Amino acid sequence: MDEGMLLSILLQTAYASTPLLLSSTGEILSERAGIVNIGLEGIMLLSGFVGVVVGQETLNPLLGILAGIGAGALVGLIHGMITAYMKGDHVISGLGINLFALGFVPYGIYAVWGVRGYFNPSDQAKVPKVFGVSPIFIASLVLVPLIYYILFKTRFGLSLRACGEDPHSADASGVRVERMQLLASVIGASFSGLAGVFMSLDWLTTITKDLPAGRGFIALAIVNFANWNPLLGLLGSYVFGFSWVAIEWLKISALKQVIPVTLLNTIPYLVTLAVTAGALGRSRPPKYAGVPYKKE
Amino acid sequence: MSLQLKLGERYKEILFSISEVALATLIGIGISAIFIKAGGYSPTSAFFYLFKGAFGNLYGFYTSLSYSTPLMLTGLAFALSVRAGLFNIGAEGQVYIAALGAIIAASLALPSYLYLLAEFAIGIGLAVMWSLFAGILKVWKGVNEVVSTIMLNWIAYWVTEYSRSNIFYDPLSPDRTIRIPITGRLPILVENTQLYSGIFISLIVVIVTYVILWKTALGYEIRAVGLSPSASKYAGIKFSLVALEAFALSGLFAGIAGVMETIGRPPTYAIVTSLTNLVNLGFNGITVSLIGRNNPIGIIPASIFIGGLMAGATSMQIFAGVPLEMVQAVQGIIVMVLALPGIIRLIKSKVRRR
Amino acid sequence: MPPEKEVAIEMVNISKVYPDGVLALDKVSLTIYKGEIHGILGENGAGKTTLMRILYGNIKPTGGKIKVFGKEVSFGSSKDAIKIGIGMVHQHPSLVPVFTALENIYLGLPSNFKEQASLKELIERTGIKVPLEERIEDVSLGIAQKVEILKVLYRGAEILILDEPTTNMTVEEVKEFFSTLRNLKKMGKTVIFISHKLKEVLDITDNITVLRRGKVSGSLPTSQATPEELAKLMVGREVFLKLEKQESRPGEKILRVEDLWVKRNDGSWAVKGVSFEVRYGEIFGIAGVEGNGQSELIEAITGLRRAERGKVFFKGENVTNAHPLKLYTMGLAHIPEDRQKMGLILDMSVAENSILGIHRKRDFLRPMMIFNENKIKEHVERLIHQYEIVVSKINAPARSLSGGNQQKVVVGREFSKTPDLIIASQPTRGLDVGATEYIRSLLLKMRNNGKAVLLMSSDIDEIMGLSDRVAVIYEGEFMGISETSSVSEKEIGMMMGGYKMGEIGKK
Repeated sequence: MDEGMLLSILLQTAYASTPLLLSSTGEILSERAGIVNIGLEGIMLLSGFVGVVVGQETLNPLLGILAGIGAGALVGLIHGMITAYMKGDHVISGLGINLFALGFVPYGIYAVWGVRGYFNPSDQAKVPKVFGVSPIFIASLVLVPLIYYILFKTRFGLSLRACGEDPHSADASGVRVERMQLLASVIGASFSGLAGVFMSLDWLTTITKDLPAGRGFIALAIVNFANWNPLLGLLGSYVFGFSWVAIEWLKISALKQVIPVTLLNTIPYLVTLAVTAGALGRSRPPKYAGVPYKKE
Repeated sequence: MSLQLKLGERYKEILFSISEVALATLIGIGISAIFIKAGGYSPTSAFFYLFKGAFGNLYGFYTSLSYSTPLMLTGLAFALSVRAGLFNIGAEGQVYIAALGAIIAASLALPSYLYLLAEFAIGIGLAVMWSLFAGILKVWKGVNEVVSTIMLNWIAYWVTEYSRSNIFYDPLSPDRTIRIPITGRLPILVENTQLYSGIFISLIVVIVTYVILWKTALGYEIRAVGLSPSASKYAGIKFSLVALEAFALSGLFAGIAGVMETIGRPPTYAIVTSLTNLVNLGFNGITVSLIGRNNPIGIIPASIFIGGLMAGATSMQIFAGVPLEMVQAVQGIIVMVLALPGIIRLIKSKVRRR
Repeated sequence: MPPEKEVAIEMVNISKVYPDGVLALDKVSLTIYKGEIHGILGENGAGKTTLMRILYGNIKPTGGKIKVFGKEVSFGSSKDAIKIGIGMVHQHPSLVPVFTALENIYLGLPSNFKEQASLKELIERTGIKVPLEERIEDVSLGIAQKVEILKVLYRGAEILILDEPTTNMTVEEVKEFFSTLRNLKKMGKTVIFISHKLKEVLDITDNITVLRRGKVSGSLPTSQATPEELAKLMVGREVFLKLEKQESRPGEKILRVEDLWVKRNDGSWAVKGVSFEVRYGEIFGIAGVEGNGQSELIEAITGLRRAERGKVFFKGENVTNAHPLKLYTMGLAHIPEDRQKMGLILDMSVAENSILGIHRKRDFLRPMMIFNENKIKEHVERLIHQYEIVVSKINAPARSLSGGNQQKVVVGREFSKTPDLIIASQPTRGLDVGATEYIRSLLLKMRNNGKAVLLMSSDIDEIMGLSDRVAVIYEGEFMGISETSSVSEKEIGMMMGGYKMGEIGKK
């Protein structure tokens, strides 16, 4: 294996891991505040779509990225209102997001461009490379330690984590619990939004209803695997991202004579199952994540 | 004689439930109307053809009923697990794998009268195993069933798709699997429609589930565990056992749906490329269950409603030009609204305060 | 004490009637001076908690007024309390367990917060030494409470309300804690010390107010108080409510508990080496103020909580940590402390609740595990008739029943198992007079019929009136076991307050 190939594998792994990294980091933030969002898959899909629409219309990738983030933020706002303020069921709301996206995006693809199934943005809409690599990938590497810092080294992060660990004590100490939870939901979902637009405008440069391919759920598994710590989430995302690259690699290798290509697609999901089954027992979620906070 | 309040006595509760669902549906329709308009289509036209295709004529009605057949079962699958306090969203994959099981049976050389039995046995067996796998992970290792069932869905998809295209393909028509032999099919109920006799099986399963949940010790324990884990523990009910039973039953229901779709729905009687005739049956079952308030009796009209959406969607696409996937989006909005606890009560209390 | 008699808190005729009609406080008046440590003493149900919650702004009084430093106040919420300088230190500190002490102190400070004294200063002046960088879940309850004290002091509290602060503290920790309180006094802070522990109240306070059944039963300077007097004020009866009781004719041992040790959820020891026996034909009562380990003890005996050390023998068989079902089949019935969370499933019907735990009995099932609804109907109607349960329909949800009727369903169901040992935890808590009398008579009847009853209650009347023998639990240990007829209420009061039986001077 020569140098060029090694570099290529590293880069591919990085790109494959980036959406997982962004999405899981955002969800870590959200769950630390007590809001569980299983609609990450749907958010990725929706923002991927919105990003392409805006990016294509304006032929400005930056606007596309902002639109994608904004779409995520909007969904996070709605989900946060339902869960934090109206004490709705976190899981059902998340399921609704996924269902909605699954229907809305294929509809949207046809409604906007008149094509069925998928649309590829034109080159001017795609996110340009910076120093030869994707700027969003670079951003993700910056965002993760930033989130870690905010969560664990700032007063704001302290209040946020208190909402997920012990909302009653947080409230008694003067933290505005519901407001904090809403904010965390919005920010967390924006990250998944960025993940979605990364896939549609930057890495895979397409929008189709299968864009996330289960990554939203794998991100949930990563959150658990990382013990709700963004730095461990970085590790987890790259482990999973690598498995995706491994598929592509295996698909073109000699192994394809032995294991059929189609079945190789199951690798990321098998890996996720294996990791979640094996790794659990030492991880500990925020005590009140997913529990609607009811004042006494 | 009943151990619980009869339907008539619970009219207030039922009224609330119906109004909540109605409100959710209205909001769903309202918001999607906005999106439809934004896409350049006419919402009134869209909903007109949607309704027409679903219930506007006899053919549409029969098609809606034909979709309600599997939806009743996937709805039950979700409802049962929710009753036990679990979120099993693996019906989607269990449907695929059950369909595969039916095809496997079809590929065997059997005396003609055994095909039906084999299809159900293998298909249901695979689906139950699939579901139990998630159940065992949950009980043994504490794995969150939302994540594990979704992973299993994707694995089931690829395994089935692979089998379709590489193992059980029909050499004469390789975009689909071999057909179910005629002796292995379920009879059609109404000529020239998609309505097949499977609907009776679904209805029977619904009634059986109702009986199980409210008239047997098993159902009692399932409900107890979902309503009060502490009281169940006090009563000596073992959660792990009940959880596994719930996963197995869910797998059973999804399995029947998957088998019946393959051996009953004309004209295909096979699995097609990308499993298009099987996808979303599991996920739509979630909507069905939520609309039906996780109650077998409520699931019957809910499945006809969602079945209608599915049936009318094609008509909406053809005549109003709106892509049929839009109905999925409507469902998503309805589900999100239904996530709110007692919205009607919420509104009433807000109004009273003014 | 310096003669500056500035009044810190004055409560005038404070009354509290809860929406369900319960009178928790009845014209309570007290005066607390600045710079004093004032003890509020009382047993469960005396009104301490309600009084404290009113002081802290958690609930509003239905009558009377409160003056803080001379100004009449009316609280909107507990956040208002800290603004006027009242800081609350809860029995279970309002601290986030996974955060460090420092993080908890800083949590939720408003952005315009101006500290009056730096944390370092406070630590020096009060002498409170806590490991600031350790997580609260890793430190003892005693340290956690000190952290909470620092927290409210940092936010400017002048008056501190301490609710049962020495729960779970070792003797050393209590000593340290009290020296901290004395430092606070030197700093001019006012401390309200709510407790049921006589020794401690006598040690640290300057003045004591005793509450009994919502009224002030006595108010005196600590220097003039004796343990006997306080116990009498707290418990307040010369003669306990005596129920018609046959001579007890106890038989064989049915339950034997040997050196049982049980942990709480947070890992601390709730039960520390308890041993006792219960015999057929007797009622054995466990008395004590809530929170001293009795709940965990009962849970361990009934198979709902792990016994870490020690053994439990039921009918001679070792059933330590056995599954509840095994105990039930052996003849044990359990009336749980929390009827709404454990004893019943409120959303299920009365009929369904009447078979909870016995739903798999052969009588109730037809083949294929289908319920024999006629038999179940017979069963629940029998219970309704026998126990005079008021219910509109047997298939109405249990939620619709009153507290008393709910408890009757639980009791009836448990008795229908024809048990040999009945374990009843707080069986009449929250019930009206009629239901209370009824349940108590049922327990007596069981005992008269030769069955064994293990009764756990924080209602002294109940324990003393029903039990043949009584044990008092305090901080996880039995202070003494005795025949009810040969122990006085004063002695019981003192045991509940922390004195071992051997320490009490004989009459």
